[in-house]
Amino acid sequence: MPVFYPLLAVNSAIPLSYFVLASAALFSIGLGVVVVKRNAIVVLMGVELMLNAANLNLVAFSRYDPDLKGQMFGLFVIVVAAAEAVVALAIVLLVYRRFQTVDLDEVNEMKR
Amino acid sequence: MLSIISLSLFGILNLFLGFLKSRRVLLPATLLFIALAFAANLLDWNHQYVYFRDMLRTNNLFINFSSIILLTTFLTVAISRSFGTDEEHTHPAEYYAIMLFSVVGALMMVGFENLIMLFIGLEILSVSLYVLTGSDKRSLRSNEAALKYFLMGSFATGIFLFGIALVYGATGSFNLSAIGSYVSGGPTTGISPLLYVGLLFILAGMLFKVSAAPFHFWTPDVYDGAPTLFTAFMSTVVKTAGFAALYRLLTVSFTGVYGLWWQVLTGVTVLTLLVGNITAVYQSSVKRMLAYSSVSHAGYLLIAVAAKTPQSPSAILFYSLAYSIATITGFAVLILVAEQKPIEGRPDERYEAFNGLAKRNPLLAFSLAVSMVSLAGIPLTAGFWGKFFVFSTAVDRGMTNMGMVLVVAVLMSVVGVYYYFRVIIASYLKTGDSEPIGIRPLYRFILVLTTALTIGLGLFPDVVRQLF
Amino acid sequence: MNTNYLPSDYLPIVVQLLAALGFIVGSMLVSHNIGPKRHSKKKDDPFECGIPTEGDARTPISVKYFLVAILFVLFDVEIIFLYPWAVNFLDWMKESREMAIAIFVEMILFMGLLLVGFYYIIRKGVLNWNQ
Repeated sequence: MPVFYPLLAVNSAIPLSYFVLASAALFSIGLGVVVVKRNAIVVLMGVELMLNAANLNLVAFSRYDPDLKGQMFGLFVIVVAAAEAVVALAIVLLVYRRFQTVDLDEVNEMKR
Repeated sequence: MLSIISLSLFGILNLFLGFLKSRRVLLPATLLFIALAFAANLLDWNHQYVYFRDMLRTNNLFINFSSIILLTTFLTVAISRSFGTDEEHTHPAEYYAIMLFSVVGALMMVGFENLIMLFIGLEILSVSLYVLTGSDKRSLRSNEAALKYFLMGSFATGIFLFGIALVYGATGSFNLSAIGSYVSGGPTTGISPLLYVGLLFILAGMLFKVSAAPFHFWTPDVYDGAPTLFTAFMSTVVKTAGFAALYRLLTVSFTGVYGLWWQVLTGVTVLTLLVGNITAVYQSSVKRMLAYSSVSHAGYLLIAVAAKTPQSPSAILFYSLAYSIATITGFAVLILVAEQKPIEGRPDERYEAFNGLAKRNPLLAFSLAVSMVSLAGIPLTAGFWGKFFVFSTAVDRGMTNMGMVLVVAVLMSVVGVYYYFRVIIASYLKTGDSEPIGIRPLYRFILVLTTALTIGLGLFPDVVRQLF
Repeated sequence: MNTNYLPSDYLPIVVQLLAALGFIVGSMLVSHNIGPKRHSKKKDDPFECGIPTEGDARTPISVKYFLVAILFVLFDVEIIFLYPWAVNFLDWMKESREMAIAIFVEMILFMGLLLVGFYYIIRKGVLNWNQ
C-alpha cells in the first residue's frame, strides 16, 4: 500500500493491542472519575467514558469479524447509553430540586 | 417469545389507558395483560424454538423461569394501590407500563441466546427500575435511592459491557454456543487471556445486579428508599431473572473454564451469606432487614449456581419461587402495617410497628408468620424445600469442593432464624395499642393465596418440582 | 473488510484534531493580543450596559427546555438504527424481493413504534408551551 503522508511513513499496520490499550486507558479514566468525583453529573460523565471504552473495544475487535457483529453491538450501546443518560438527567434534576445540590456526599438523607 | 412481544404492546396500551378519565380500569387491565402474557407463555410448553437468527431461545427452562417472573409481577401489581396520596401528581398508568416493560427486560434476560440480548434485557430491566425507585417524587429518600441506584447500576453496566467486549475479542462471537465451543473446544493457541478478564468483568456486573457481596453495598439504601411496592418487585423479579441469566451464561458458555469461576463464586457465596445474615441482625427497620435478607438469599441461590449439577436449574427455580412468594407476602404485610401510624410523614417500618398485630389482624399476622418461617427455611414451608434442594446440589458436587460453603450456609440459616422470628415475636407476643387495619378484598385474597402457596409447596413440593 | 490499516490512514484524523485545536488556541491568542486593553472599574464590571448588575447568571429556567432537550436526544439517537438498515437494503433487494419487503415492513414497524411514542408525548402535553 503506498504511503501518501511522509510525516507518518510507517509501513506496518497498527496492531490491535494499541486499540485495546487505548480503550483500557479510557476505561480506567472513567472508573477513576466515578470513584473519585463527588458531583453526580461528573460521575455520569465517567460512566459514559466507561461505556465508550467498551464501544471502542467492540469496534476494534470487529475488524477481524467478517459479520461486523461488534459494530452492530456498538450501535445498540450508543442507544442504550443515550436512554440511560436521559433517565439519569431526569433523576439528577429531581434530586437537585429537593436537595438543592448534586454533591453526592450531601445527598444523604438516609444516614440521618 | 409471544409473551415478550405481547407484554411490550400491552405496556404501550397501558400508557394510553392512562388518558382515560377513570383510573379504575388500570389495575384490572394490567392484571389481565399479565395473565394473558402468562397464558401466551405456556403455549410453547415442550417445544424448543430459536428466534431472530439465534437471538432468543425458548424451552421449558425459559417457560418455568418466566412463569415465576410473571407470577410475582401479577402478585405485586395486585397489591398495588394509588402510588401516593396526592391524586393529582401520581401517574399509575405510567408506573404499570414501566413495570410491564421491565418484565420484558427480565424475560429477555431469561431467554437470551446472544450476549446482545442479555445486555439489552439487563438495561431495559435496570433503567425501568431506576425510574420506579424514584417514583415517589415527593420523598427525599426515594429521590436519593434513585440517584444511588442509577450511579451504582450504570457503573456495573459499564464493567459488564467491557467484559462482553473482551470476551468478544477473545472468541469473535456473541453467540452463547459459539463462545461455549471456543472455551471447551480448546483453540490451538490456548484460551486467550482476554477471555478470563472478560469473564471476571461479566461476573462482577451480574453479581452486582443480583446484589451479592462484595457488590451489595447499594442494596440496603436503595431497597429502603424505594416505595415498598417496588422494593418487593425489585427484590423478587431482578433476583429470579439475574440468576436465570447467570446460570445460563455460565453453563452454556463457560463450562470449559468451570475450574476458574466456581472458585470465584464460592468465595462470593461465603462472603454474601456472612455479610447478608450478620448485618440483618443489627437492623432496627423491618424493611432494611428484608433488604439484607435479600442479599443473604442471593448467597443461597449462588450455591446452586456454583455447584453446577444437573439438579441446579430445578433447585434455582424452586428456591426463586419460594423466595419470591414469601418476600411478596412479607412486603405486602409491611405496606399495610407501616402506613397505619406514620412517623413524621413517613411510614413506620420499625419492628415496634408490628407489636400486637396478632390481636388486631389475625390474618395479617398469620401470613407474615408463614412468610418469615418460609424465608428462614423451617420445615413444612416452601422455603425449607428450597434450601434443601440448594444444599443437596452442593452435596452432589462433593464435600471437598463445597464443604466450607455448606457449613457457612447452615450456620447462617440459624442466624436467619433469629432476625426473622423477631417480627413474629413482635406480632404475637408483644402488645400494641393500634386499631385493626382495614384490608381490601383483593389484597386479602392475594395474602391468602400466597400463604396457601407457601404452605402447599412446603407440604407437596413434588407437585411443582415435576415441572422443573 | 480491510484489516490492514496503516498509521498513515489515520493522518486525516490527526489533521482534523490539530486544525480544531489550532483554531481554538489561535483565536484565543489573537483576540487577547491584538485588541487594546483599557482597565477601569466600570470596564471590568460584568453586564456593563448602564444598568447595575442584578442577581447572577444562574437563574432557574423553565423545565420545558430541559424536557425538549431530553426528548431530542432520545428521538435523535434512534436514527442510528436506520444507518445499517439503509446501507444493506439494496443488497437484500438484489438477493430476494420477499426478504426486502419483510425487512422494509420491519423498519416501518419500528418507525411506527417511535411515532406512537411521539403521539404519547403530544397527548401528555409536554410540547405545549402555553400552559
